[in-house]
Amino acid sequence: MKPVLLIAINFAREQRWPILTLLLWVLLLAFLGLVTDVHRQREDLLFVFKQDAVYVLAFSVFFGGSAIYNERRSRRILGVLSKAVGRQQYLSGLVMGVTIACAVYCFALGMTGSWTLGEAGFSIAHVWFLMVCLLAACALAGTVALMFSTFLNPFFAAGATAIVLGLPALAGQIVGPQWGYVIPVWELGATVVNSSFDSPGVGSWFPVALAAAETIVFWLLSARIFAYVDIAVAVE
Amino acid sequence: MRYALEFDNVTKEYRGFASKRRLRALDGFSLTVEAGEIFGFLGPNGAGKSTAIHLAMGFMRPTSGAGRMLGERFGHPGMRRRVGFLAESVALYHRRAERLVRFYGALNGMGGTHLENRAREVLEIVGLQDHANRNAGKFSRGMLQRVGLAQAMVNDPELLILDEPTSALDPLARVMVRELLLNARNAGKTIFLSSHLLSEVELICDRVAVLHRGRLARLGRTADLLQAGDQTEIVVRAIAANQFEGAVARDGVVSICVPSHSQRAALERIWSLGGEVVSVNPLRRSLEEIFLEVTADSQSSPVKGIQ
Repeated sequence: MKPVLLIAINFAREQRWPILTLLLWVLLLAFLGLVTDVHRQREDLLFVFKQDAVYVLAFSVFFGGSAIYNERRSRRILGVLSKAVGRQQYLSGLVMGVTIACAVYCFALGMTGSWTLGEAGFSIAHVWFLMVCLLAACALAGTVALMFSTFLNPFFAAGATAIVLGLPALAGQIVGPQWGYVIPVWELGATVVNSSFDSPGVGSWFPVALAAAETIVFWLLSARIFAYVDIAVAVE
Repeated sequence: MRYALEFDNVTKEYRGFASKRRLRALDGFSLTVEAGEIFGFLGPNGAGKSTAIHLAMGFMRPTSGAGRMLGERFGHPGMRRRVGFLAESVALYHRRAERLVRFYGALNGMGGTHLENRAREVLEIVGLQDHANRNAGKFSRGMLQRVGLAQAMVNDPELLILDEPTSALDPLARVMVRELLLNARNAGKTIFLSSHLLSEVELICDRVAVLHRGRLARLGRTADLLQAGDQTEIVVRAIAANQFEGAVARDGVVSICVPSHSQRAALERIWSLGGEVVSVNPLRRSLEEIFLEVTADSQSSPVKGIQ
């Protein structure tokens, strides 16, 4: 467990600049909360809050899809995998790292959202429920992207991830709503995007639990694929 | 355990994602490295040296064949706890040198004050004790290579696998690394050294292998390889070069190469001609000569690709 944690923290640390850049958007929400009349501008605040939430979902795909590629290109992967670290542990570290990076953002957004939206009459319990939904969606999207990145370059990995996450959503629209839960990233995202001041305190935990279970499945699948991948890196 | 590293008929082919063309980097490669020796692994660029090392470390899988390192199959994570590895063109995270070494030590299951002390110790061994709190991202290539060596040694490994460990180092640092490797060998460690610096390999390696086009082209004890057959070089003064067939005059002395069995007769003839013998030594070749001989055809034809 120790190597997994070390790799995860190291990954989150290496992503500090993208995370800090993302946090600027949360800062914008906080700034709006300070300078505007939160009661009169509450719909605008909620819009910024939802916008910030969608950004982290996109970034989770970016984090997951580029993690292995960046490590291989920089050759740092050799230093880590030359130690007593198994491929599965390495992958687990990256999954955990992506989740930590997104969790930092979700926590900051949750804190700011509780303060700004809470003051405008939004249920604080619902803000944190939405953050849990968002984190579950990020973990799943990041893990799917990570799985594709074990054998595709980041560009194709992002495309393949978009297809895998988008198809159930499309089927949910055309065939029936239950199809949206096959890979519930879209459903969880929709829970955040469709939230309003009339939303109840806490919604259904089913998609969250499903996303957590699917994250484990995709993580195991990634580890299985990664065990057979050559970490061949050219010397520049 | 007699062998620290064993390659048993290992073949590795690289294949493109969509292409049928395959490149054979290693071709039926077999080699054993004995425990407690410094083993020099030589070969021109593209010979398959890094591929062999990456296979041993478990970074890739052989197409056929197998191998063992410290008694375990290649790529066994637990076995890597007993191995130190320095990659060619070392790449490290940008953080303080001491923290970096501790990070790699912790990945090997080390911790607590033992790891802290060991990190300081290895940084001192590589001469970076004054830079322990500096960010490795701001280090020169030579300093990075020294941190790389420190991280490879932090777990006090039984086997050190070093891919070009001195390529970016200045002469003083090279001497330091040479002494470090000799000390490690004296402490019972095994060192597998891949290098293009033939003079260094010649100085410190017990055995040497030359890899060429994925195959083992030469293998033997360094001293035996450098022995140029049954020849003796006699250096004399005060005689003319034309009095001996094949003699070469330079810097006021004459160098004569004779078969060892006729050494006595040659010396008697030199004395009878009034010559003064300066030295008599078995003729030695340099590793560079052997390397060039083995790889002589590499300029004319590229690395073999198979369909």
